[in-house]
Amino acid sequence: MDDSDSSAQISLPAIPDRQGARIIALPVATPRRAPAQRPDQPAKTSRPALWYALYFPALVDLPDSDQQQALEKLAAVAESISSTVSYHPQALICEVRSSLKYFGGLETLHTRLQQPLQDCLVQLALPAEFFYAASPTVSGSLLLARSGHNILVYRPDNLRSALGQLSTDVLQLNKEQNRRLYNMGIRYLRDIWRLPTDGLRKRFGSELVNQLSKALGNAPEATHNYIPAPVFNSDYDLPYAIEQLDRLLPVADEMLSQLTEFLTARDLCTSQLLFQLLHEKREATAVKLGLRQPTRCRSHLLELLEMHFSSLDLPAPVIAIKLDVSNFDAFMGHSNSLLSGPAATPTPDKNSNLDLFMEQLRARLGGQPVRSIHSVAEHCPEYACQQLDFDAARNSHHINQQRPDDKLWLLPNPRPLWLLSQPQPLTVRHGRLYHRQPLCILRGPERIEARWWSGEDVRRDYYIARERNGSRLWIYHERQGERLWYLHGVFA
Amino acid sequence: MNSLKHHIDSPEPTPHAAFSQYGAIQSAPGANGISNQVSSANQSAEPGHNEIDALLERHPGLWRGCDLAGQGQHGRSTGFASLDAILPGQGWPQKGLMEVIAPCWGTGELQLLMPLMRDVIAKGQWILWVSPPFQLYAPALEQAGIDTQQILVVDLDTSCKDALWTMEKALQNQHCGLVLAWQNWLPGKVLRRLQLAADTGDTLGVLFKHNDSKYSPSQVRLQIKDIPSADQHFSESEITLIKARGNFRPRRTRVQLQPRL
Repeated sequence: MDDSDSSAQISLPAIPDRQGARIIALPVATPRRAPAQRPDQPAKTSRPALWYALYFPALVDLPDSDQQQALEKLAAVAESISSTVSYHPQALICEVRSSLKYFGGLETLHTRLQQPLQDCLVQLALPAEFFYAASPTVSGSLLLARSGHNILVYRPDNLRSALGQLSTDVLQLNKEQNRRLYNMGIRYLRDIWRLPTDGLRKRFGSELVNQLSKALGNAPEATHNYIPAPVFNSDYDLPYAIEQLDRLLPVADEMLSQLTEFLTARDLCTSQLLFQLLHEKREATAVKLGLRQPTRCRSHLLELLEMHFSSLDLPAPVIAIKLDVSNFDAFMGHSNSLLSGPAATPTPDKNSNLDLFMEQLRARLGGQPVRSIHSVAEHCPEYACQQLDFDAARNSHHINQQRPDDKLWLLPNPRPLWLLSQPQPLTVRHGRLYHRQPLCILRGPERIEARWWSGEDVRRDYYIARERNGSRLWIYHERQGERLWYLHGVFA
Repeated sequence: MNSLKHHIDSPEPTPHAAFSQYGAIQSAPGANGISNQVSSANQSAEPGHNEIDALLERHPGLWRGCDLAGQGQHGRSTGFASLDAILPGQGWPQKGLMEVIAPCWGTGELQLLMPLMRDVIAKGQWILWVSPPFQLYAPALEQAGIDTQQILVVDLDTSCKDALWTMEKALQNQHCGLVLAWQNWLPGKVLRRLQLAADTGDTLGVLFKHNDSKYSPSQVRLQIKDIPSADQHFSESEITLIKARGNFRPRRTRVQLQPRL
């Protein structure tokens, strides 16, 4: 699209025009070369940059973190028109000069973007309303967009007059500064430009002056670019269908080496990998690798994959393999000691090695087969021992550490190392207790009465008994109900 | 030992040189010739010692006198003096596979290992329990002075194959100091594999079983048997060392495993 400024006419900012953009163009003096241009600088291209600003007024009410999240989502949409999307308060600014010709002008570009942006805003439960503007400077575009007039300015020469028509509200100054400007009789930006710069700097601080000079293109500006989240995808079509999984491993290894290169280049590591084994006329078999600790170690990943493969049943021959990784973590390296020597050699991280072991266990056994146990201060024997998943236990370590008087609540009476999950009833014959062989009581009773508050009334007399073959057992006699004898534990 | 060193040191062992070594201390400092000889003999004694070490390293099958029951110090104390006395190295082996055979659970087979467990925990290593027959009861462990934070239990209902796999991996892992497993009837091939894994990982594995299997490659095989006594409150167990690498024949001792009540 040509910069057909000459055909346009001056228009004052009046009513915000939501439908179409109003092209403000001032009759320009004959284009002249900038006299200040230094000879060592490359000659400026005839087409200066063009920044397309999108301002989302609805974001103002959101908290900062939500704003950033919303902007990230919107930036992902805006990325379809520009490779440079910059974050600003409640606004996104895209560089569009380079893609203007491809899309065929700003108007098409805008219509292309409007619907996805509105959809995105609706998804975020925000009013689907936004303003846009374009100008050769970043701050200029931002100010124009904030005014809500949807103004497009193509030439740097027109920027000053276009900005001059804006109200001072677009500067988003604080209350005191606004009051001062008002008292000085300043309503529009053009009024500010009449003021001397040093006086302005003294009264309003250098930030305002800088902002204005950036908007006019007199000062360089920085952008805070949107960097899309990394995604790793790789697929490989096998030359022929494979039924043995171990023959897939070399291919998977090659993919993992690509992944590790990808991760190393970005200084990332990952803890979630998804392998998909594609079959003909059948749904793909997914192999999910979940790691306890993010890694980018190829051999470890391959080992885990091998373990997953060993427990996998293929429904059909595999024709292709796919690897997707979308969750990444920053890579945390260890520093080695500068000084060598026995004292300075870094001790291997105890937990990391254990974590590798746990991962292997989990990959092979599935689920959470590994448990750690803890004792709980509780009178009722079956509640005094808690089995926790290894992960959960690790998270609750600090709770245990908060119990310094560990020894205080230790019971004076011996407890068995083995506890039966269900007490086994004992038989009484001719007044003697029998388990497999006759029992004789060595010690007791120890009365435990607990949990009446939970509806499950535990009233028992515990005894330590000796079976004839030498086993020491922990038995109890119910004190209510049928008053039966039960075996509850084994002293090993 | 000293004479052995000299045999290896010098190609021609001269009794004269050996004699002068002892004589030199008493002889006058002026006798330069002799004192020179002594210093050279001392210097050559050092590499000779290394040679023996190298020889032992090259041939791990070489039998040593300290492998005999009650000799040497290379074991970990069991905590029971009478048991130490019949074990080679005066204690449990540092690594390898042990088999504890008990006719039924509850005869004190875990009490036998309690001092070892405390030792392992104090070293900061983990204890893995692979498919124990009953639920492990944490308060009892704490009563025995064992920190439960370094204890891991693999569920009972995992299959035998998985349990063996877990055991092998754990034995290879250097952070697991002790692996306890309950498996009857394991073939010799499997036991040899576990023994190898324990050797590579510097870990001690303990298998609890009901029946003894002859020709097992495990380092130590011992059987616990309860001795009936008139006093029911006092129980003593007879421990038979069916096999302990280094011992020539089974040895037997009596140990009080269960505390008197």
